[in-house]
Amino acid sequence: MLSPTTNPPAALAAPPIRAWRLPAATWLLAPGMLWMALFLVLPMLMMVYVSFWTQTTFTVEPQLTLESWVTFFTTPAYLDALLTTVWLWLAVLLASLVIGYPVALYIGLFVRNKVIQTGLLVLCVIPFWTSFLIRILAWRPMLGSEGAVNLLLMKAGLIQEPLQVLLYSPLSVVIGMTQIYVVFVVGPVAFMLSRIEPSLIEAARDLGASTLTILRRIILPLSMPGVAVGAIFVTIMVLGEFATASALSGRKVNMLGNIIVTQVGSLKWAFASVVGVVLTALTALVVAALLKFAKLREEI
Amino acid sequence: MFNAPALRLFLSLFTGVFLIFLYGPMAVLSILSFQTGPEGGPQFPIIEWSLYWYRHLLGHVPPSRVAPLDIGPALLRSLSLAFATTLVSTTLGVMSAQAFRRRFRGSGLVFFLIVLGMIVPGVLVGLGMALVSTFLDLDRAWWSTSFVVHVVYTYPFAFLVMMAIFNRFDRTIEEAAWSMGVTPATTFRRITFPLIFPGVLSALLFSFTLSYDEFSRTLFTAGGDQTLPLTIYGSFSVEIHPNVFAFGVLTTLASFTLLAIYGLLMWLSVQRAKRFAAQEDSV
Repeated sequence: MLSPTTNPPAALAAPPIRAWRLPAATWLLAPGMLWMALFLVLPMLMMVYVSFWTQTTFTVEPQLTLESWVTFFTTPAYLDALLTTVWLWLAVLLASLVIGYPVALYIGLFVRNKVIQTGLLVLCVIPFWTSFLIRILAWRPMLGSEGAVNLLLMKAGLIQEPLQVLLYSPLSVVIGMTQIYVVFVVGPVAFMLSRIEPSLIEAARDLGASTLTILRRIILPLSMPGVAVGAIFVTIMVLGEFATASALSGRKVNMLGNIIVTQVGSLKWAFASVVGVVLTALTALVVAALLKFAKLREEI
Repeated sequence: MFNAPALRLFLSLFTGVFLIFLYGPMAVLSILSFQTGPEGGPQFPIIEWSLYWYRHLLGHVPPSRVAPLDIGPALLRSLSLAFATTLVSTTLGVMSAQAFRRRFRGSGLVFFLIVLGMIVPGVLVGLGMALVSTFLDLDRAWWSTSFVVHVVYTYPFAFLVMMAIFNRFDRTIEEAAWSMGVTPATTFRRITFPLIFPGVLSALLFSFTLSYDEFSRTLFTAGGDQTLPLTIYGSFSVEIHPNVFAFGVLTTLASFTLLAIYGLLMWLSVQRAKRFAAQEDSV
């Protein structure tokens, strides 16, 4: 082995450690930053810019106007899409929290065997390795009037006629989105809960706290950062959605994303950009509010 | 530890129902993919079990009223796109995370800019890129405009995975190598890389699967030639036949194979690390 005592000249000749430091951060970051500037920031700025262009039948001219903006805020169909986006987001977020939290509670707090705990979490994540569009599609034979749910309910004698409300309705959109995005709540919350010191709960128990008090006063507050992170993920995903909404509602539920798709399809670039800017503003607003609950960077 | 048997029972049942909710639709879809064809539709009851729709997918059945799903070229495009995206985003991710091992001014801003790539809704990134290419008069294609926005999406994931790895990384090992006069390049190859290998593997897996399945960013940027998710989306607008279900089963199996390979490589890497640690202990 090389050691300074047997080989002093080599040690002396070695350049000072400082010279062997990592290359400057600038050079390591430059390619990534350039990529993001050109292919993320520039396109987003372009979208804001084009939203003020003049729309003709098939093209847009770079003459600045507020026309598309006025159209957006004076057309009931577009304001409806804005409202639909907001209530769908709230419905899916609520459903994800109500369904995801108890599951996270079980996995994070009640399962103390690390192997089973990891296994259950993996089981929750595995569906993500199925194509997103296939997962949406899978709800059709499930919820349709001849679908599995209706068949089972009729066999059980709970209903006489198939329920029509299950598919091609706002309900099916909420069900489909919740199934896809609920895992974003389960993961972070289970992670936060699994870090709770058992002694903390024992201490509360010894001091005479009931199960409900422990849940409300200790477990819920300690899991809040996880809830906030999960809520941010669900929010980002749902606000930008359009595929689930159109495929499971039979195009009856129109979100802002659906409007963008239609407008781009008919080459209404300026108008699509207006909707894009509105969607960006909405997302930024909601995420900024949720970030107040959790310092995202410290969780990583 | 948490002594509340009633609550425990309730939560375990709840989790069970949750797993049915999570896996039920895919299970039903898989069962229906074995429906007989071409007269069997995408619903119960199963008239007769058959592999008809799988053969239909591969073009091994006589022509019928159900048009074949043209997945061959789309599959090739999606795989090439995912491969290129994975290479670039993992490289960028490793480089950026390496830079973040030291504090520097403006790190908050840089972090934000990278993470922005995964939080901006895909439909907006796609729209923006389509606008840029339209007004620069550049043709949109899966290998150009789709490729760059796919990297915008997967690079943050690769970066975050590598950040998490570097945060738990003992840098004195590297310093020991440097102080013995080993060049930075060799140190990276022989010391740093093997240690961060599990992270790199995860970054590769994330990038590949995210890009392979990416739909909303591709919709406006792919131009004329479709990728796999676009082909699937196209089949949504017409009547659904069980051939799409059969495709869903096959693509899911392919993804699980990838996941299994990842699991195996990860396991081997952990075993290697254990052997290495055992050797060190015995010295």
